[in-house]
Amino acid sequence: MSVLARHLNILDHTLSSLWRRRLKNLSVLLVFAGVIFLIASFQLVTRALTETAEQALVAAPEITIQKMSAGRQVAVPLAYSEKLSGIFGIRRVVPRVWGYYFDEVSGANYTVLGLERDRMPASGQLDLVLDQGESPAPGRSGAALIGRSVQQGLERKGGSLLSLFRPDLSMVSFTVAGVFKEETDILTNDLIVLDIDDARDLFLVPEDVATDLCVYVANQREVPTIAKKIADALPDTRVVTRAQIRKTYQVVFGWRSGFASVCLLTALAAFVIFAWDKASGLSPEERREISILKLLGWETRDILAIRLWEGILVAGLAFVLGCTLAYIHVAFFGASLFRPVMVGWSVISPSLRLAPTVQLSQFLLIFCFSVLPYMAATVIPAWSCASVPAESALGGV
Amino acid sequence: MIIECCNLKKEYTADNTLVTAVDNVSLNVAAGEFLVILGHSGSGKTTLLSLIGGLTKPDSGEVLIDGVENWHQGDDALSDMRNSKIGFIFQFASLIPTLTALENILLPLTFGKTPRGGYQQALDILEMVGLPDKANAFPAQLSGGQQRRIAIARAFINQPDIILADEPTGDLDEETEHDILNIFKEYNRKGTTFVVVTHNIHLARTQLDARILEMRRGVLREKVPVAA
Repeated sequence: MSVLARHLNILDHTLSSLWRRRLKNLSVLLVFAGVIFLIASFQLVTRALTETAEQALVAAPEITIQKMSAGRQVAVPLAYSEKLSGIFGIRRVVPRVWGYYFDEVSGANYTVLGLERDRMPASGQLDLVLDQGESPAPGRSGAALIGRSVQQGLERKGGSLLSLFRPDLSMVSFTVAGVFKEETDILTNDLIVLDIDDARDLFLVPEDVATDLCVYVANQREVPTIAKKIADALPDTRVVTRAQIRKTYQVVFGWRSGFASVCLLTALAAFVIFAWDKASGLSPEERREISILKLLGWETRDILAIRLWEGILVAGLAFVLGCTLAYIHVAFFGASLFRPVMVGWSVISPSLRLAPTVQLSQFLLIFCFSVLPYMAATVIPAWSCASVPAESALGGV
Repeated sequence: MIIECCNLKKEYTADNTLVTAVDNVSLNVAAGEFLVILGHSGSGKTTLLSLIGGLTKPDSGEVLIDGVENWHQGDDALSDMRNSKIGFIFQFASLIPTLTALENILLPLTFGKTPRGGYQQALDILEMVGLPDKANAFPAQLSGGQQRRIAIARAFINQPDIILADEPTGDLDEETEHDILNIFKEYNRKGTTFVVVTHNIHLARTQLDARILEMRRGVLREKVPVAA
């Protein structure tokens, strides 16, 4: 009998054996798929969040300077930019005015960002992240670019008026010139981009200060050095590089995902221990069955091969099912089960649509931490099955 | 000789007492012979059968099947030998409860050297043992006698050279016993070698030219042949 025919026989026997115990095997498969679904969901959400943040950060300034006072961020004087003129490598320093705007009608908190776009090197790229409309000419007053949820929340479409209240409750209106793309939701979903003078007017910010300063650097490799020089020149400021922001996102999402994954791995470990216990503790019926099979000429490797195929089929199906459900959960249901854990701020802010990116290494990692331990837990104890003496099928002396 | 046993010895410890189940037994069985080993319960006949079948390793002595010593070959080769050369019939039906009658019969073919496609052969044997309509029945749906017949059918599916049977007709009604012994006679006539251990002397009388040995306290001795 050829190796192929032998394995076809084994597979045939395994399938019929699985089918005979279909209720038990289905239960194991569903529980296992559930654990994999949870782990894969967390992985996909984490990846989607960090990926989205990565994309959105491409156009961010290399360095941001914020003035600190008593541990809090306060407005930074525009005169600070003159103190940086001596630092070689700085391409441009551009002020920003930004703040939060709570909309009582929709109950959402929006971020309003005032930019001096005619001085920003990457302002031309703004059109690339717009889904509808186009960015207004730099310096044009009264126009706004908004995130998708702002559009939904305020029930405004591109081109219509966006009315906001100043702190003194007087109203100011803006024309919606464009809406940001879905892919940039993580940063733009709750965003309203205005001209810097319009933002000053909205928040009543004096002309000689800004919320922070954006520093653009010609050579990316010099960013850490320049950031250090800025920190030395302006000791009362916090200097944040783009790499640090990226890392913060990774740490925040990674920590949340890691914490959740550790909890879920505990569940997985419990499942594997259960599988091990089940596979290693042979019932008298199982011992008798194995001894009969050995007596009929089955070899140790045949019994191991059956266990291996059983493990492959159950764990493989559970893996495919769990991962598929996780993708559907994240892509089509916005990871609704874990959303509050992973995207905490969006409980207040409007919804964020997640676009999961499938990475082979991620699934390989899940495979290694789920399927392989299960296989080991079911196949290794099979050695004890195989060691059942055939003579125990006989009775008497 | 198809079976050669030389100075076989096997001891067990039971309740801190050393029991000699098989005591210096030497035995030769020719191809096509029908050997009956008579003995009371506890006389060691089942142990002798498991030594011959390579299920139990003797403390001393050797067993040769077709000239090959059982324990000089590897575990896999021994399994292979059991699968291709020996058919076992146990004291009890020994069917796997989650398999149908047909699947139980086909078990030895699953990994044997015989190519797949033994279904028709299994159906033929089912007919031979008088249960053609029970192919898809599970053991729990069969009577004790029917289960025994399925087990016998399974022993014959690989067309083995040797049948080792342990009390094959125990607990069976006379009619079923008669049917089974007729099957044995038929196969023996075709050349299959039988080694049957039993306490039932009437079994020996049903077979042609049966050689009868008696086992008592682990020792094997000749008994006067009984005419068929």
